[in-house]
Amino acid sequence: MRILLAEDEHVLASQIKSVLCSEGRVVDVVHDGAEAQFLGETEPYDVIVLDIGLPQRDGLTVLKNLRAKQIDTPVLILTARDGWSDRVDGLDAGADDYLTKPFHMPELSARVRAMIRRKSGQTNPVFEKGNVVFDTRSNQVTLNGIPATLTAQEIAVLSYLFHNSDRLVSRTELSEHIYEYDGDRDSNTIAVFVNRLRKKLGNELIETVRGRGYVIKVAA
Amino acid sequence: MRSLRTRAVVGGIIWAICSILIGVFGLASYLDTQTQARFDELLITRHTQAVIEVANAYENPNQIANRIGDPAYRQPFSGQYWQVEGPDGGIYVSASLVDTLLPRPGPQIGRISIGNFVGPTGERLRRIEEWLTLEDGSVWHVQVAASLQSLFEDRAKLRGNLVLAFGLIATLGVIGAFLQASTTLRPLNDLRRDVLSRWDTEGDLDAAAYPIEVAPLVTDINTLLERNREIVSRSRRQAADLAHAVKTPSAVVRNELERLAKAGQPMGASIEALDRLDAQLKRSFARMRADGGSAAMHTYTDLDTSLGRMTRAFSALARNQDKTLTSAIAPGLRVRMDQNDFEEVIGNLMDNAMKWSESTIHIAAKQADDEVEILVEDDGPGISEDDYGLATLSGQRLDTSKPGTGLGLAIAADLAHAYGGKISLGEAGELGGLRAMVRLKTSGL
Repeated sequence: MRILLAEDEHVLASQIKSVLCSEGRVVDVVHDGAEAQFLGETEPYDVIVLDIGLPQRDGLTVLKNLRAKQIDTPVLILTARDGWSDRVDGLDAGADDYLTKPFHMPELSARVRAMIRRKSGQTNPVFEKGNVVFDTRSNQVTLNGIPATLTAQEIAVLSYLFHNSDRLVSRTELSEHIYEYDGDRDSNTIAVFVNRLRKKLGNELIETVRGRGYVIKVAA
Repeated sequence: MRSLRTRAVVGGIIWAICSILIGVFGLASYLDTQTQARFDELLITRHTQAVIEVANAYENPNQIANRIGDPAYRQPFSGQYWQVEGPDGGIYVSASLVDTLLPRPGPQIGRISIGNFVGPTGERLRRIEEWLTLEDGSVWHVQVAASLQSLFEDRAKLRGNLVLAFGLIATLGVIGAFLQASTTLRPLNDLRRDVLSRWDTEGDLDAAAYPIEVAPLVTDINTLLERNREIVSRSRRQAADLAHAVKTPSAVVRNELERLAKAGQPMGASIEALDRLDAQLKRSFARMRADGGSAAMHTYTDLDTSLGRMTRAFSALARNQDKTLTSAIAPGLRVRMDQNDFEEVIGNLMDNAMKWSESTIHIAAKQADDEVEILVEDDGPGISEDDYGLATLSGQRLDTSKPGTGLGLAIAADLAHAYGGKISLGEAGELGGLRAMVRLKTSGL
């Protein structure tokens, strides 16, 4: 899952990125509103974490501009402003949720997780397919009840496919959601990650549609 | 005397009384003189008639009484008398004197004199007397007297009419003073009403709509209103900037402390200190906001707009939490409160309801006399009746099972109070959880 984080305070941005990355997210960090809008318009993010008080272009303007261009990526606004009016401004401009600074990092993680889940139409934070169980709250994967050891990129691939279960996902789309903006997006490596997942979790979990991509079918 | 109206009316009345008194005394004096002059003229005429008759009948003085034929001289003690004294000492009098005489003359030959004396019946008389030397050289004394009673009666009647007329004028003057005060002070009343209605409009007072004497005051009031807005606005900007400047570093420190705590470092005391710091900041910002609210003028909130956007925003949050927000908001409501402050009150109440509700939050607003009543209800566990007062006190967390500072309800209550409103807690009717009722002064009546 790929997240755009727009926060002008570098240390805070680094802390947030660190926590989100530790949970298997891919995070692009920008420090001003103009860049946030550019990336928000051009890259397929799963969630945008947007500080209201950004330089060059404030977060509220960025949000309005994104929504005006029909970009419906879930947006979590961060605000240091104390008043409810600022939060309501953000929500009324199309934000999906808000957090006021200072916030607890686990709360941020939970909000981001919930937004990703809602976007994919899932209500349960735990995905199941056969003997495989994926708990999005802890990124814990079990096979027949036994925890499986997965790398961050393997978890990223599995998470994206589970959140888009029953839908064909192309390699290109997968690579757009598991690599950072500046990352080396070699879609061939996706096949490597999928093969490793099959070895660790069984061949039935991920189906390949030749020449088109992958799908996890959970519907009966 | 602090009332302009009283000052104008009392001033007008005092001036009217002085004018009337001067007028009454002046006019009465003039009329007295005129009446006296007319009385004397008549007396002189009568005296002249008597002199003529004496001159014509001096050879046969007994004819004098017949020649002076005024009926008033024949009626006993009629108040009209004459008396003639011949050179031989004979005295001829009008029949009206009956058997009495007028006072004897003094030895002042050739002079006419006029004076008052007490007559035969005790009434005051005015007389003219003259020593008259006829053609034959004989000297006669002729005197004519008339009762002053009629003069006094005429004067009293005139004075009565005069007092009546001036009383009427005085009454009209007092009414006029009230009307004039009312007319003169009307622009000030208009000004007061206009200043009050600044709650309902963002526009300035129109100085051109006032008399030129009041227009400078209107301009000054506009300047004060503008300065008030600037001060409140600047204070809020500074508070918001300060909040922004402090909270982001606070977030950084908190994250670092929590990271270290997660790594096994003993950070409990530091995190607790930071919690206190954050709570104190939140409390201080809320107090600054409430202080600004009590000084705010020239502002109102349109509930169609404000509650509309808040309902939309909280509906989105409710959906995120798989909850439902219902609303019943009467159209066209307005409250005398800054919109940011109003949204702070409602935001805190709805946030609290959202936090504790099981599945449903309800917001309703309606007009209640000269106030607007807003209800925020939830289907959560509610709080006991004993804790209703405690919940709106700053920093009182009745339940620590959910995150929060325990300041939300207190901030809402302080802000509502700063605008003359109030918040009361109770049990939500249908939903069964907590009901927060806000009553705020309406705007635009």
